[in-house]
Amino acid sequence: MEEHGLTDPNALAPAQQPDPVAASMAAAAARRRIILRILDNLVWVILVVVLAVFSITINGFMTTENFINIVYHSVFLGVVAIGTTYVLITGNLDLSIGSVAGFTAVLSAWLAGSSVFASGLHIDPFVVLVIALAVGAAAGFVNGFLVTKLRINAFLVTFATLTVVAGLALMLTQGAGVSGLPDSFRLIDTIRPLGIPLMTYLLVGLYVLFEFILRRTQFGAHLYIIGGNRTAANNFGIRVDAAVLRVFMFSGALAGLTGWLLAARLDGATPTVAVNLLFNAIAAAVIGGVSLEGGAGSLTGVLAGVLLLGSITTALDIVAVDPFTVQVIQGLLVLGAIILDSVKRRYR
Amino acid sequence: MTTSIQPGTDVSERRTILRAAGIGKYFGSVVALHDINLDVYDDEVVGLVGDNGAGKSTLIKILSGNFRPDVGTIQLEGREIRLGSPADARALGIETVYQDLALCENLDSVYNFFIGREIYRRVFGFRLLQHKEMERRTRETLSRFGTHIPSMRDRVEYLSGGERQSVALGRFIRWGDKLVLLDEPTAALGVRETRNALDLIAWTRREKHVSMIFISHNIEHVFHLADRIVVLRNGEVAGVRETRATTPVEIVGLMTGSLLASPERAAVMQEGGGPRLDATD
Repeated sequence: MEEHGLTDPNALAPAQQPDPVAASMAAAAARRRIILRILDNLVWVILVVVLAVFSITINGFMTTENFINIVYHSVFLGVVAIGTTYVLITGNLDLSIGSVAGFTAVLSAWLAGSSVFASGLHIDPFVVLVIALAVGAAAGFVNGFLVTKLRINAFLVTFATLTVVAGLALMLTQGAGVSGLPDSFRLIDTIRPLGIPLMTYLLVGLYVLFEFILRRTQFGAHLYIIGGNRTAANNFGIRVDAAVLRVFMFSGALAGLTGWLLAARLDGATPTVAVNLLFNAIAAAVIGGVSLEGGAGSLTGVLAGVLLLGSITTALDIVAVDPFTVQVIQGLLVLGAIILDSVKRRYR
Repeated sequence: MTTSIQPGTDVSERRTILRAAGIGKYFGSVVALHDINLDVYDDEVVGLVGDNGAGKSTLIKILSGNFRPDVGTIQLEGREIRLGSPADARALGIETVYQDLALCENLDSVYNFFIGREIYRRVFGFRLLQHKEMERRTRETLSRFGTHIPSMRDRVEYLSGGERQSVALGRFIRWGDKLVLLDEPTAALGVRETRNALDLIAWTRREKHVSMIFISHNIEHVFHLADRIVVLRNGEVAGVRETRATTPVEIVGLMTGSLLASPERAAVMQEGGGPRLDATD
């Protein structure tokens, strides 16, 4: 080492001398960085502004009860949006979540319910939960398998499973609804510590857990790497296919859980109970800063997106705007989020 | 033609790090590589040159574990190895630097530096990233060659070209223990970044005494870095030359096939004073 004169680490010093061009470029980069930071967290700013505006303009909006209510009504959307976020981060898409949630909702009600179209098996609610999770994960496995092993576009694969699973839900009860769940099934909704339903705590717990996995574990890091540069992920020995398969299974299992929760909340289910879930989940993710190109986004932002959609729905509900107008407003919101996403991308 | 060593070079004491013997790769009726024999010695930089389609990248992909050869064997330090994936190659100490630097624009320097080799601790079945330790080690490696990135946790898309490149090259400096494959590492770089990269490669070689295979379209760069030059043409080894005993003209001749790969011709070329590039430039 000594004879090379390299004991001084600066001996090589590749081009670190100060120079005015580099300095002005660094300043521009710093400005860009600040703007992108703001854009990345814009959803929280919007949420706060929207809540403030609603609180001022709508009588009876600004109550703790109402806020808790918004979170409570966001449980289903919130749970599926976790899976959607994971799938989007890897640069994939899962369109089947809505019908998987609908199917597992009907299946859960069918297995445990006592109305005309139920199975009459009166299965224990926790066994039903396990079945719902397994069915969801199995749907996710099929999606993931076709996407990773047969290299079929995720949009096409999950569009097909969406249709198949929605059909299965209709087949199970000939399109009829099932009700009459035992009280034990409804505990997740009826147990209310501090007046807040258990499933609201579950929602918060799931966000903490899945955000933790994204930010602090190797698996989470690999999802961002896969979404950012798939080729590099492969070259550096990351098992891309295994991770993508797992993400699709997470997404399916979370949709299965959502179905089970829907049945518990509604004391039954109809096959079309979750038709709006897919659109809203993708909307919440995009509004929350998840890029459709993959590699970007966090569940913190998505939670804000979920709550923003929930707040707007609740506010429009309080002032009695008709549901058709609500849909137009939600659509415009998503359009705004997509435009924001593309602006950010161009800015980079 | 096998590895011909110029007389006067004492190779008897040099350890062979990599020996590829009889490597062949065929895509249907297309011969990508045929009967390639390549030795890389301890502390040696081998330049791998050839025209487009000569088989350079196929050979590199085989050595980096991206392709499997149809025939032939690869030995690393005398032991036969089978490379099923890039991960296998990495685990054996064969590190590859890719043309596009293989960065994830969406992630910070630390994630990019450790990509696929994150430091974690197992807690309740979770592989918890050791962020502080990873950041410390990234900083340590980068500072070894004088690069200081102000914010290690900024996405690399915010970094300057030189900084981004340092992160990518830092990986091979840290992990390239036995053999480093440099697949046109300067192809996507500007003039100044190319200089830095070449300096960095030369420095790493002196510092770590690691063997390298350096692929480049730029003959000047190859003459600057390589001890020995292997020329591929049409999927076969067209010639092997000691850098100090050959000229760019001869190498280009071998690449294009306008020269017979004979030492006699080479000697004639040198007598004739073929334009030797100044390697220090």
